[in-house]
Amino acid sequence: MIEDDEILQMYIEESLEHLSDIESDLLTIEGEGENIDIDIVNNVFRAAHSIKGGAGFMGLTTIKGLAHSLENVLDLIRNKELVPTPNRISVLLTGFDKLESLMQNIQTSNDEDVSDITDALANITKSTLAEDKQDIITNTVNIILQDGRIFPSVSQYSIEQAKNEGKYTYLVEYDLIKDIHRSNKNPIELLDSLEKTGNIIDSRIDFDSVGTLGDQSASTRIPFQILFASILEPDMASTLFDLADEYIHVVTDEMLAPSNEPAETESIPEAMPTLAAPATTTSAEPPSPSPTETPVTTTQPSRPASEQNPQQAAPKPISEPAHEDVTKPSVPTAPPVAQPQTPTPPPPAQSKTINEKTYQPPPAKKPAPIPQKSDNDSDGDGGTMNISKPMGSLRVNVNLLDTLMNLAGELVLSRNQLIQGINSSNAKATELSSQRIDMITSELQEAIMRTRMQPIANVFNKFTRVVRDLSRELGKSIDLMIEGKEVELDKTIIESINDPLTHLVRNSVDHGIELPQEREAKGKKATGTIALRAFHDAGQVNILISDDGKGLDPEKIAAAAVKKGLMSEQQVSELSSKEKIDLILLPGFSTAEKVTDVSGRGVGMDVVVTNLEKLGGIIEIDSTTGKGTDIQIKLPLTLAIIPSQIISVGNEKYAIPQVNLDELLRIPASQVKERIEKVGDADVVRLRGNLLPLLNLAEVLGIQKTFIHPDDNKEYPDQRKSVADRRSAKYNKDGSEDNNAEVYKDHRSGEDRRYRSSSAINIAVVSAGTHKYGLVVDELRDSEEIVVKPLGRHLKRCSGYAGATIMGDGKVALILDVSNLAQMADLTTMAEAERTAKAARAAEEAREKARDKASLLLFKNGESEHCAAPLHLVERIERIPVSSIEKVSGKKVVQYRGGALPLFELSQVANVSKLPETEQQEIIVFTVKNRELGLMVTPPVDAIELSLDIDDSTLKQTGINGSMIIDGHTTLLVDIFDVVKTLNPSWFEEDAAAVAAAIEDNRQKVILFAEDSAFFRNQVKGFMAEEGYSVITAEDGEIAWNLLKERHHEIDLVVTDLEMPNMDGFELTNKIKSDPTLTHFKVIALTSLASDAHVKKGKEVGIDEYEIKLDRENLMKLIRQYLN
Amino acid sequence: MAANPKKIQENNAELATFYVGKALCGIDILSIQEINKHFEVTTVPQAPDYVVGVLNLRGRIVTILDLGKKLGLSQIRSNKKNRNIIVRSQDELVGLMVDSISDVVTSDQDRIEPAPSNISGMKGKFFRGVMKTQNALIGILDIEEVLKE
Repeated sequence: MIEDDEILQMYIEESLEHLSDIESDLLTIEGEGENIDIDIVNNVFRAAHSIKGGAGFMGLTTIKGLAHSLENVLDLIRNKELVPTPNRISVLLTGFDKLESLMQNIQTSNDEDVSDITDALANITKSTLAEDKQDIITNTVNIILQDGRIFPSVSQYSIEQAKNEGKYTYLVEYDLIKDIHRSNKNPIELLDSLEKTGNIIDSRIDFDSVGTLGDQSASTRIPFQILFASILEPDMASTLFDLADEYIHVVTDEMLAPSNEPAETESIPEAMPTLAAPATTTSAEPPSPSPTETPVTTTQPSRPASEQNPQQAAPKPISEPAHEDVTKPSVPTAPPVAQPQTPTPPPPAQSKTINEKTYQPPPAKKPAPIPQKSDNDSDGDGGTMNISKPMGSLRVNVNLLDTLMNLAGELVLSRNQLIQGINSSNAKATELSSQRIDMITSELQEAIMRTRMQPIANVFNKFTRVVRDLSRELGKSIDLMIEGKEVELDKTIIESINDPLTHLVRNSVDHGIELPQEREAKGKKATGTIALRAFHDAGQVNILISDDGKGLDPEKIAAAAVKKGLMSEQQVSELSSKEKIDLILLPGFSTAEKVTDVSGRGVGMDVVVTNLEKLGGIIEIDSTTGKGTDIQIKLPLTLAIIPSQIISVGNEKYAIPQVNLDELLRIPASQVKERIEKVGDADVVRLRGNLLPLLNLAEVLGIQKTFIHPDDNKEYPDQRKSVADRRSAKYNKDGSEDNNAEVYKDHRSGEDRRYRSSSAINIAVVSAGTHKYGLVVDELRDSEEIVVKPLGRHLKRCSGYAGATIMGDGKVALILDVSNLAQMADLTTMAEAERTAKAARAAEEAREKARDKASLLLFKNGESEHCAAPLHLVERIERIPVSSIEKVSGKKVVQYRGGALPLFELSQVANVSKLPETEQQEIIVFTVKNRELGLMVTPPVDAIELSLDIDDSTLKQTGINGSMIIDGHTTLLVDIFDVVKTLNPSWFEEDAAAVAAAIEDNRQKVILFAEDSAFFRNQVKGFMAEEGYSVITAEDGEIAWNLLKERHHEIDLVVTDLEMPNMDGFELTNKIKSDPTLTHFKVIALTSLASDAHVKKGKEVGIDEYEIKLDRENLMKLIRQYLN
Repeated sequence: MAANPKKIQENNAELATFYVGKALCGIDILSIQEINKHFEVTTVPQAPDYVVGVLNLRGRIVTILDLGKKLGLSQIRSNKKNRNIIVRSQDELVGLMVDSISDVVTSDQDRIEPAPSNISGMKGKFFRGVMKTQNALIGILDIEEVLKE
């Protein structure tokens, strides 16, 4: 075999290129069925053909044989003698696969046994022929030239075919030295050019006629013989071949001699096993020319399935083993046609025949190597290859090369200019040339990048095959739609996404799409669809794999995760369905219920994720149960030069790859307190309603944080312990400053430094895979394109960096590895973050609950005074024209719903300003003592719900309970009862009488009142005391409980708040009701917000009544009811 | 060549000598790419303590090690005489920060003795040997050993 690396290399590259398109062509042919597109078939045919031609020259017998068999079948399809059924196409595909793998391992290709495929192909070919002609397919003949030389073992079928097509067959003898080498031709090119005018049936190098060195008569020629079929007339031939007539022989029937076995073994030198492969074929499946032989059913395409049987019944030929013993290169050919008398046994039963009809594509394992093969760079199966890998080289568009050359030229020119400029100290020239160099560099960068760009079609195309084979195997019917084949990606990325994508597509086929009957049962089309789309978006390449299969079931996934011990049930229950779906990305997860050959081999989605992350890619899964699954992959265009955000911490700059960056966030100093919170040990930031975990870069990397002091411009170590720690006396409500703050107290001048804008917190919101978090940095700088450079080996263990880059100032900046940083900080998955956030929310709610909440109606009295009143006392709000207000006996009333509604304003009772005159008047209608009255107020009127934190001393006066800060305004809390009592004491007279009567009785009545809020404690105690009750107050449930135990003889009624520290109202009630000595106590619960759930819970523990805190009237009625 | 490279080197080699603390050390001059005084290194948080930082050396990222710390002595004290010795090792450049540079001396096989287990506080394994000169002892460093992570 030929050892000329260069030519061999060229042959391999060209062949692989031919092969790369074949698959899709074959699938198209399959799809078109009988209505074949001649062009496409021709394409495939030509590919097989040129491979065969070259192989002959190279001495690659196995390849040649296989290509030949393929060619035969394709020829039949081309001539419409054979319909390309799926089964036949399968055989062809397998054949081409084999061919490709032989190409990859070219050095060992001759040792490969491809007889099963060639047999299958031969069977197909045979099935089209009349019975008596069948044998010629596997028969070979020798061509004997006038001078006695022999061109051995030519497929008789090919020669017959040529003859049938009215072609002349030529045996052309080129001289490798003179005709080819000296005239600077290349054998492959020669074969290619001949292909244009005809068919190359066979080719070989005639080593026999070369002789040996010692041989005196040694010819000076190395004949390269080509058997060529063409419609060209013999007299034109010499022009065509550019050879003297003596080297062109027209092959006539007389020259054909049956290739005779013994002669052949001798005549073919060991080194030149030209026809080993076809020979193997024939030995495995000898024809049955014997006239006594009953027709073999194989010949009838109409009787497909039964063909094996007659063969199996046939006796085993005795001569067969002997044949197989012959040394490999000279495998015997089958008995030739010319000896029909020789009784030849029928084909052996155990021949490795692959029946065309029963032939099934090999299981997925077999096609599996293909991806790796076409993935030329992977060194997986290159082990046996001594030569450089077939596609280590890359084809570059010549135009692009020219562009590069141009740019290089310009670069040189600009350099010269620059040097000149510098030498002559010409600033202007220097600047100009630097601008030019800048431009050229970017263009150069882009052009070089383009040379590395390859269409994603290289990866996508093979999925047609993957899906086809897999769906056939699994009995599914699937359409594959491919869009965006032309999208280009860097070569290295193209190569690396191959495996992850294959995995995902297989998953879709295997787990996604249901069986046709299942689909129909669900009312879907029997044929499933898998769509592969590639498109550009936001400087990234997006790949979308969507199927309309059964989708992912979040519950099932969650259950599996629990079962596998990846998560606890508790954890799982807190996840959203999207998060549950994301669980399949966890290591060690595979949803396949049965481990199939196709997917679910233990390596799961986590491998996909890891591989993609290595490429800087991101994966997102979106699935609707029953509807299908969308998997989106985002990839950078290239890995070498990446856009990134420069940030700085301390004195150093760092780069965050733009791929990982979601947004930049700057929290002004004034908002830090409200937006950044501490949950457990973790800081979180409130971002559009979500809580995002924060990571302080300086902390994770262990950088000593410093700040530049505004007074002396010196650096001081930063003392803040957490982001939200503001170190400011102004923010420390309780006024207790800690020591660290004390140290700098003296430095602070009038304007506190923490109020400066430099105290704002800068956050880079980053995400990588499932992690999403905010990285707190000192400064956010520019975004720049950086060149990634590796770090030295001493820094390999610093996993926080993805590499380093050189900044414009020449300093090195480290590139942050966002996902590793998260791991370093123990900030596990996003789900975790979400849980932190949830915990935060829960904690917050709890805190809110612990305080008393109330619904208030906000309004204004005049323009400047803000007021609020308990909402539950409000009947409605009206707007009336001022003109409709009447003054009757010194009181303002308005006709309202057929009656007179007394109106008043706050200034009548409390010391507040009078209302300004307006045309319209807003009125809040309250109901007190079953009578309505209207309070005139100034809009806007608004209802809010908030925790009461009332200052009941500073602004307390008649009609005003106290004040609190709401929305930054000091707001007066209006005491409606007090107002009414002051204005209309008569309304309370009946009560007063009753009360007066009861007061004496009530003296003996003792109420235990538990309430944590001082305001309410005093307020409610006041109500009760006014009616003469003795009140024992307790600050929380526990104190109340202790008091009750000690003094239960004195106490008559328990009134308790529900939300209290230490022991809440529920627990207190529960204790009371379950203590036999106390169980008779009635318990009234006071609440600010009585939700149904609360009421229910309260009833369970035995709370007798609920009352709203500020509803004095009802509360007192209740107390009276219970006590009297 | 692979048979006794040490011998060839040590017979004819010239040693670049330098001070690490008070100890005089030498490296075969052929393994040195250059000696410079660029100190605008970028510190690498989380790196081993003997790593001073990384340096941009004409487009290549070079890790600078504090040779004092690496050899188990105290940190190189920063002063004007500090130098980085850039050596090539395993296809990458590594810088060794030393206190100061001294002479280049020709090594003489006869005067080289095996390294004791401890040379002024530095472990013997870092040395290929010690060479006595008229007024000093030079510890000949085994670069690969020194550069082990």
